[in-house]
Amino acid sequence: MTDYTLIGKRMPRMDSRAKVMGKALYTADLKLPGMLVGKILRSPHAHAKIVGIDTSKALALPGVKAVVTGADTEGVKWGVFAYTRDQQFIQTEKVRYIGDEVAGVAAVDEETALAALDFIHVEYEVLPAVFDPMTAMTTDAEPIHAEFPNNINIHVNIDTGSVDENFKKAYYIREDTFTAPEESYFHGEPYAVAARFDYDDCLEIWMPNGGPHMKSKPLSNAFKIPLHKVKVKKITIGGAFGGRSEICPADYICALLAKKTGRPVKIVFTREENTIGTRQGHAMITTHKTGVDKEGRVLARETTCYMDGGAYSSTGPIATSVPFLSMEQAYRMESVRYNGYRIYTNKPIRGMIRVHGRGFACGLDTQLDMIAQHLGIDPVEMRLRNSRQPGEFTSTGSQVWSCAMDETIKKAAAAANWQDKFGKLPPFHGIGIGTNSVQTGFPMGIRGGSQSFVKFNEDGEATVMSGVVDNGQGNENMLVQIAAEELGLLPEDIHLVSADTETTSSDPGSYSQVSTFVGGQAVKNAAANCRQKLFDVAAKILKADPGKLTAKNRMIYVTDDPKKAVSIKKTVRVALLNFTSVNAEGGYWPRVDMKREWVSNPYGQMCEAFSFGTTIIEVKVDPDTGQVTVLNAVACQDVGKALNPLVLEGQFEGSVAMGGQGGMLTEYHDWQEGRCLNPTMLEYKVPLACDMPEITGIIVESVDPRGPYGAKEAGMSIAMSAAQAYAGAVSNAIGVYMDSFPLTPDKIVAAIREKRQAGK
Amino acid sequence: MRLPQFTYHSPDTLEGVLALLDEHRDNAGVLAGGTDLLVRMKHRLAGPKVLVSLKHLDSLSYIKEMSGMLCIGAKTPIIDVIRSDRVKQQAPALVQACERIGAVSIQHYRGTIGGNILQDNRCIHYNQSQLHRSGRQPCHKDGGKICYARDEADRCNSTCQSDGATALMAMDAHLVLNSTRGEHRVALDGFYTTDGIHPFDMQPDELLTKIDIPVVPGAVSAYQRLSYRSAIDYPIVCAGIRLVPDQKDAGCIGSARIVVGAMSRSPLFLAKVSQSLAGVRFDDNTAFDRAGKDAMNAAATFAAHNAGADLAFRQAMVEKMVGRALEQAAAQVSMKIAR
Repeated sequence: MTDYTLIGKRMPRMDSRAKVMGKALYTADLKLPGMLVGKILRSPHAHAKIVGIDTSKALALPGVKAVVTGADTEGVKWGVFAYTRDQQFIQTEKVRYIGDEVAGVAAVDEETALAALDFIHVEYEVLPAVFDPMTAMTTDAEPIHAEFPNNINIHVNIDTGSVDENFKKAYYIREDTFTAPEESYFHGEPYAVAARFDYDDCLEIWMPNGGPHMKSKPLSNAFKIPLHKVKVKKITIGGAFGGRSEICPADYICALLAKKTGRPVKIVFTREENTIGTRQGHAMITTHKTGVDKEGRVLARETTCYMDGGAYSSTGPIATSVPFLSMEQAYRMESVRYNGYRIYTNKPIRGMIRVHGRGFACGLDTQLDMIAQHLGIDPVEMRLRNSRQPGEFTSTGSQVWSCAMDETIKKAAAAANWQDKFGKLPPFHGIGIGTNSVQTGFPMGIRGGSQSFVKFNEDGEATVMSGVVDNGQGNENMLVQIAAEELGLLPEDIHLVSADTETTSSDPGSYSQVSTFVGGQAVKNAAANCRQKLFDVAAKILKADPGKLTAKNRMIYVTDDPKKAVSIKKTVRVALLNFTSVNAEGGYWPRVDMKREWVSNPYGQMCEAFSFGTTIIEVKVDPDTGQVTVLNAVACQDVGKALNPLVLEGQFEGSVAMGGQGGMLTEYHDWQEGRCLNPTMLEYKVPLACDMPEITGIIVESVDPRGPYGAKEAGMSIAMSAAQAYAGAVSNAIGVYMDSFPLTPDKIVAAIREKRQAGK
Repeated sequence: MRLPQFTYHSPDTLEGVLALLDEHRDNAGVLAGGTDLLVRMKHRLAGPKVLVSLKHLDSLSYIKEMSGMLCIGAKTPIIDVIRSDRVKQQAPALVQACERIGAVSIQHYRGTIGGNILQDNRCIHYNQSQLHRSGRQPCHKDGGKICYARDEADRCNSTCQSDGATALMAMDAHLVLNSTRGEHRVALDGFYTTDGIHPFDMQPDELLTKIDIPVVPGAVSAYQRLSYRSAIDYPIVCAGIRLVPDQKDAGCIGSARIVVGAMSRSPLFLAKVSQSLAGVRFDDNTAFDRAGKDAMNAAATFAAHNAGADLAFRQAMVEKMVGRALEQAAAQVSMKIAR
């Protein structure tokens, strides 16, 4: 085992202090000289033609500096993929959901800007709207996008062959359908954007983002200006969870207002706008048909999923695939056929979310429990019989180099006392297990790799430049930790320049759990290159072999003779005086199959590493009121290598809160004709700290051969498996396998009542 | 989201407040803790031109016992009610109710007992932003003629989700209202109109100054409520109970008051079901279960889809909340006897 100075150590994050003391500045805190307040006029109709827009009254209002509509744009449509470009940043022809952008205003203050919105007269011709994906696919439903017949936005078809033959061989087959409605992120920070054009006509823009380079390109396209003229600046970000991944129409509207007025403009979303005007998680209807042999091993599976995608494509092809991919990674299946459909409806746009496909994954695990019960197999054993093993290929052809799935199952079961509890708990007590696997970086095309630069300052401290963004998960600390480890410096010696398109190189952003694996690895490589240059200089000073030096604690010393040492500071100064560079670059490009494509070719190496997680939950249900109390939570994940266990534990806790406690018990959206009835924190029941159970986190390290120090994704497979474990635990407690999520008290009470009536 | 513009006053005396209310009447809003009013103002559901703050009226913050009454000043912070030994002894249901109001931070820093009673009726279709309410017909409470909470309803079906009011009505509390015209005392169960738009029988120049709770020897009380979260959540159904022992047989209920909240335009005092408990023994859980069912049947018809939970579930839970509150109150009697 390598002896690391910082890697693997519990290190409080360097950004925490500023955040808890309220000193960290977020986009909404920005104040630029002469800044105007921007507001967006949104559609009050779920589906309507825009007949005309009259902005003259708004423009005449004193204090209003600009009003922009679709007529002011270059007419560029946004889409994550070339084949999904379906969204204008300001609508010109029709609106497709309540909240769709229709116009923007910039005014001297918020009151004036809000008043101006009231003075914009939009004439609509209301069209029939459709809110249910199954209805939307029928031929008489009004098409939401003319180019997509039957409102089918994306169809992903995966077929490994032999599915029908294997069903014939199966000893037992089940087919079950599971449903779950939409959910929201409830980031700590509501969306905000500030923009200005500088003296050189460069756009400077600040906003929460999942990757600054993913924002600059679409903005440069939309304004038809060179990429270098879009400077996405670094700013503290209060959460993403998949909901900050894409360009937001507000980014463009804010920049357009800034351009038109020649002044900085800031738009800050209300909580409601953050809920309906950014992204939500997809509602899903999933049917799993599974055939097993006598021992419970899955021979064939056929899954069909209908996803309510809302009004536009967003990350549609990815969203339609990921729930399936997580399950094909977690579980072996001899053959599988998957049909995923993403359907347009007149509801807010759905994108990626931390627990993407709760109904999908919980359905699959619930069905496994049903099969296990039928065959008389313990659920833990059922999972061990189907769990992914290292070295194997997934159904769609990704090789899994590191995998400690079995270890997570066994360790979690031991910590939760599974053996003593399953089937032995008092009435209305239950225990459930969930297992899952999450991608560590999928193919991102031209921005799939990351490059980093490290430069030394003459005082012996280093500046690290990286495109990696920190959404709150601790990425900045991760980079500093890696750089300090590699350079032999202390964390406080590292100055990080990150998440800025002007000064940092291309980077995939914090998508698909890739920051540590790709961005961290790029910093590791750059720092190692830099260290080598230092060693070359130090070797001359120490009259030693540069290959036999060690850097630690600001010193460079001969590995076998630590007394022969020179400080890094002195080494840097000697280098500078001798006209020798001690700056270096490094990069990392994941070795994935670049020919793999979400829809046209969903086969090949998906990503380099996969995390594996198991969560076990024990609950008590009040049979009268359906209230669920969580008695115990054990979360165990194969993270490859824990770079900072302290941060990891935080990720586990957040994952159980979002995936399990909130995602499976209380969080869902309620609608009235496309109107979201619970867009705010009062009515959308995000769990409170006082509602959370105690969580035991167990870290399993499979040391991935390709990850930095062996690290993989951290935390996401807990978020997913927690959802499954909550579902299993509640079903186990009430003796009814639940097929509709989340498990709100009304559903639990109804299930118990039905069971009692059936028993009579 | 900013507040609309208003003029702000913070008089030093009760007389000063009443004079301003008299002067501005419907244009005035009373600001105690603000936890209800300010949110409605931000949503543009309320737009008082004048805000009259009670922040200097410390004289309205007290808990004392006077002539057989437990008296609570209307501006008393929620936390003071929770911490009062006197209230714990004389009106435990009120403590239970107050513990569930808002969250600890709201109880400590903002919320007042008067404000909780006078919080406006709520509806998930009404307590929404301007954007949400645009593009559809306004509802009754919003100045229109449609109800989104109940199909074809000719009037507003908002609900009173005050924890405090439900518990206080169970304890037969009275309110004292002051105006420049004088003082006026009203029983809480007679304080409500049947109009969800203007739920309180109160004049715009009146100020709630005091809550009186009769101290009845031997009386026990309890409050139960259901919500999806343990805090920062309004009840989706709640029940307040007071039981007074029979004067001749302390093992029997002499009189009962069953009140169901968060179901209708006001807390519902269920007189008939309450009467049915007279003469029932305190350990007769079967009778309590039956009363729970009767309460459900009596209250369910008032319910509408106005809170963020399944309607049938809310209705069914009336039975459980009433049943549990009855058992909890009755248990206090056996504890008292045991002492």
